[in-house]
Amino acid sequence: MDKYAIDVEHVSRIYKRDEFEIRALDDLTIHVPEGKFVAIMGPSGSGKTTLLNLIAGIDHPTTGRVAVGGEEITGMKERELARWRGRHIGLVFQFYNLIPVLTAFENVELPLLLTQLGKADRREHVETALRVVGLADRMNHYPRQLSGGQEQRVAIARALVTDPTIIVADEPTGDLDAKSAEEILNLLVELNRQFKKTIVMVTHDSRAERHVETVYRLDKGVLVGIEEGKGVATHKAAGAQA
Amino acid sequence: MKYVHLVLRNMTRNKRRLALTVMSIAVSLFVFSALVSLPAVANQIVASSASSVRLVCYNKAGLTYSLPEAYKQKIALAPHVEAVVSQGWFGGIYHDPTDQFPNFAIDHEQADLVWPDWFPPGVAAAFKHLRTACVVGPATMKRFGWHVGQQVMLKGTIYPFNPTFTIVGELTSKAPPDFFLFRRDYLEEMAGRPGFVSLFYIKADSSDSMPLIAAHLDETFANSSAETQTESESSFYAGFLSNYQALFRMASALGMIVVISIGLVAANTAAMSIRERRSEIAVMRSIGFSRHLILGMLVGESVIIGVVGGLLGCGSAYVLLKLVSVGGRGIPEIRIPPIVVAESLVLAAILGLLSGYFPARSAARRNIVDALRTVA
Repeated sequence: MDKYAIDVEHVSRIYKRDEFEIRALDDLTIHVPEGKFVAIMGPSGSGKTTLLNLIAGIDHPTTGRVAVGGEEITGMKERELARWRGRHIGLVFQFYNLIPVLTAFENVELPLLLTQLGKADRREHVETALRVVGLADRMNHYPRQLSGGQEQRVAIARALVTDPTIIVADEPTGDLDAKSAEEILNLLVELNRQFKKTIVMVTHDSRAERHVETVYRLDKGVLVGIEEGKGVATHKAAGAQA
Repeated sequence: MKYVHLVLRNMTRNKRRLALTVMSIAVSLFVFSALVSLPAVANQIVASSASSVRLVCYNKAGLTYSLPEAYKQKIALAPHVEAVVSQGWFGGIYHDPTDQFPNFAIDHEQADLVWPDWFPPGVAAAFKHLRTACVVGPATMKRFGWHVGQQVMLKGTIYPFNPTFTIVGELTSKAPPDFFLFRRDYLEEMAGRPGFVSLFYIKADSSDSMPLIAAHLDETFANSSAETQTESESSFYAGFLSNYQALFRMASALGMIVVISIGLVAANTAAMSIRERRSEIAVMRSIGFSRHLILGMLVGESVIIGVVGGLLGCGSAYVLLKLVSVGGRGIPEIRIPPIVVAESLVLAAILGLLSGYFPARSAARRNIVDALRTVA
């Protein structure tokens, strides 16, 4: 039996907007095994990003429980949760969300400032992360000096640098052209394969199905299907070769 | 320390805005420190004379009324009096009406006893030796480019004559730096011996005997045509300066108003700057930065801006006041006292703290998901 990296059990998330209640997630249960690269797909308003935010610990469920890496995060206090995110979560956003006044190196170094690592160790980690995403030669460039695809690579390096339990990506190809999107998806696959990282990706991009092992389909806050992604064959083949 | 780099990078992200904010704080602190220096200087004068054993005896009707010089003999014979010097205001100018500075005629015989730390060695003797002698404070010497041995002529504005003096020495730094003292017997001779003085400085044998001397003298001259008011030097200065208290209070209030109004502008600028970075703040929180850390960094930026502005403001006020007083034009030397510098810098830091704290707290407490959604 697979060990679960993510346990989402009977989770509901209700937002209050003025006098209206919006049920973004409705009694949702999902289990993501360790080391998997999975996609959460569905139409707009289906609750994909809400689910991702709950997994990343930046939002709280109204009811139900969320556990990541065997650790229940539902009842954590804000400060505890911030520390937990720093240790266990690597976040990748649709619009990269790099700090514009920091170089690629400094952006990737940012989460390491929260650790006990010294300057030399931080440098080593950052250089490794940037090398993994193929941007070792761009570390002194500012975000404005990089293309969209390169910015997203830096964002991935930032997510990766602390060696998190899971990487959470919200529409990581949503703002990229087809070629760059393909490169980013391939990079995520590589991270999943090489470093055995559990990756949860929210996407609209149908191309993503070719790369992931499992697709969770949501609609109106409810899980409507779990499909094997087309990337599963590649993964199995890669596993067999290994 | 590892966050300092991050704070500085964020602080300097918009250099023009940073420069304007720093300058606005600098201007407000410049005005504040310059205005607040006036009462602080006055308080310093009073404080510096608090430990002296000198008394001042003047006409009870007010300082504009004179006393007969004949009182000097009676004062000198009073118990516990060690020395007495009469003083008269001459009110002369050098060349132009703007060339004003305090110039007094004093009795030369015991001047060095009443003010022992004002005269450098040998100068008191020279002052006593030459009837036309004068001793001048270093600021006035520097202002007019005078030197010891030079003859200078002052134009009388009260008296209808222009006496010529010989500078026999420079007063020490313990004396008011712009004072010009000359012998009263010389003035009396030119004025036709009217026999009146503005006031008497009296040196007591101890601080304990000062109230006794004051009571004795005021009793002695009671019911005369010129009754006296005798008090300690510090009390005299405090009373003299109290006439300007309303002006000082207004200056301080004006300084605070300027600081508060600029503080509101700085707060608005800080709020704008933080609002623009809401998404970045949300991202930083999502990758593990706590609210407190974010708040600390944002407030740190504002405090640094405030203190830099304060240093610039205080520094330029110090330089400008020094230049103005050295440049003359009848303005006495005003130096920003260290306490005003300290107050201004603390005020600048508080200004930075308050202007940054509230928008920073709001940004740090904002829901991460909402802040990220704003971006998307």
